Amino acid sequence: MIVAEDVGIRFLFDRQQRVVSTGAAKLRRLGSETWGLRGLSFSIGPGESVALLGASGSGKTTLLRLLGGIYSPDEGRLHVAGRVGTLLSVEAGLLSLLTGRENALQLGVLAGMSRAQARAALEDVKSLSLLDEYFERPVSSYSQGMRARLGFAVAGTTAPQILLLDEVHEALDHEFRLVIEERAHQIVADGGIVVAAGHDHAMLERLCTRALHMEHGSIHADGPILAVRDAYVTAATSRGAGTPDP
Amino acid sequence: MIVAAPRTEALDAREAGSDRARRRGGRLLAHVESARRTVDLLAALTAADLRFRYGRGPFQVVRWLFDPFALVGVYLILVTVVLDRSGTAPGLSLACAIVPFQLVMLGVANAMGAITLRAPIITNMAFRRTLIPLSSVLTEAVAFGASLLLIAVMMGIYGVAPTPAITWLPVVLTVNLVLAAGFAYPASLFALWFRELKPFALSFVRVLFFLGPGLVPLSETSDSARRVLELNPLTGLFESYRDLFLYGESPSARNLLYPFAFGLVLLVLFVPLYRREQREFAKVVG
Repeated sequence: MIVAEDVGIRFLFDRQQRVVSTGAAKLRRLGSETWGLRGLSFSIGPGESVALLGASGSGKTTLLRLLGGIYSPDEGRLHVAGRVGTLLSVEAGLLSLLTGRENALQLGVLAGMSRAQARAALEDVKSLSLLDEYFERPVSSYSQGMRARLGFAVAGTTAPQILLLDEVHEALDHEFRLVIEERAHQIVADGGIVVAAGHDHAMLERLCTRALHMEHGSIHADGPILAVRDAYVTAATSRGAGTPDP
Repeated sequence: MIVAAPRTEALDAREAGSDRARRRGGRLLAHVESARRTVDLLAALTAADLRFRYGRGPFQVVRWLFDPFALVGVYLILVTVVLDRSGTAPGLSLACAIVPFQLVMLGVANAMGAITLRAPIITNMAFRRTLIPLSSVLTEAVAFGASLLLIAVMMGIYGVAPTPAITWLPVVLTVNLVLAAGFAYPASLFALWFRELKPFALSFVRVLFFLGPGLVPLSETSDSARRVLELNPLTGLFESYRDLFLYGESPSARNLLYPFAFGLVLLVLFVPLYRREQREFAKVVG
């Protein structure tokens, strides 16, 4: 279950326009501040799959990071109940000098497994990621798709009840996209939640039944994915914001 | 029915007692689980950090040993040839300062880069980021463990035999670790708050070596200098190592307690601050 009540995320900038923490802002001369998200209220129940639609910079990634516990709300209240699995960047939390196996072990423990559990899951990660002998090689030798596969395989073995995906699945090959779709459908069928952001609307329609249209850090529309998608595409086209996403 | 009430009260009291016991047991189990989780997280972060910082294979050990041996060599020439202040077993005396200082110095250096190094993880998943500086110190503690060999080599060269005072070593190592961890938390925050001033912070820590009895023992300094040098928390640490390995004596309480208390105060001040700031690490490095 996810419940957000009037949630906001604020970014502080110094005079060189670099993002700084609240502590640093007190010590340095503050340049400006902006709200990445503001006034967000929504709830996502068990068994729901939600797509985040919107132009780049509309707040999709910020919202996913908030749901994943990577950001904490600067205002409002957020309640997330359930084990969260994340794949929020192409880097997928991987350190390039470590091998796939070493990264999988570290990420497994950071995601909540014990070292023994993470070690026992390594062969599953290897087979799910389809990396074969590359699993023993440094991640610096991986393509973006291979990194995303490894990241997803690790997230998968932690048995998430809430799966958060941010565009990275769009860097994947057709074969592994099917694996992700199958896994996402399984999580939803088991009463879990999937939230996915991206610009590949066809894939999002296969993954999700509901959509939130994000605009300037707030929710512009919330409803069935086809209706929200059509409204978003129509609005984007009429504003002349270029060719809308397919 | 009349007797039922007291029996019920007694049963209620027993049940309440067992509930309390269950709650206490539950809390204890939760603490044990939390401690196990902390150990697992530290082990995972440290193992990955060791690979990242020191690579893999036999050259890893060479890297751990090179720095302290090279530093002792350079300072030995400085002290005995340039300054002409050889004193008692100068190589061993220097090693007793350089080895513990390396843990503090490298712990600070590692902690200052630890957040940026882990940016891909910090922006992808939530975990206990408060443990990052501690894992930086543990990473360097492994290298530090290897560099203790330098002290053993120097004892062999100068013919200094270990005495029963060596049993104090675990206490001295603990003080060393607490002081290194104490420096690591503010160092990590400083690197995020003042990114462009990182080299100055490292220079400051290096200066602490020379503002302490790093090159010569405290006993070879003047009274007035000693009063100032004793304010440096590294002084007690260096002298404790010399007491153990050079003089074969138990370290003094002051030499142990001052750096230990200094490290604890830093931890008490900066860990809560770090805990507040870590909520925004992903914004800063993302």
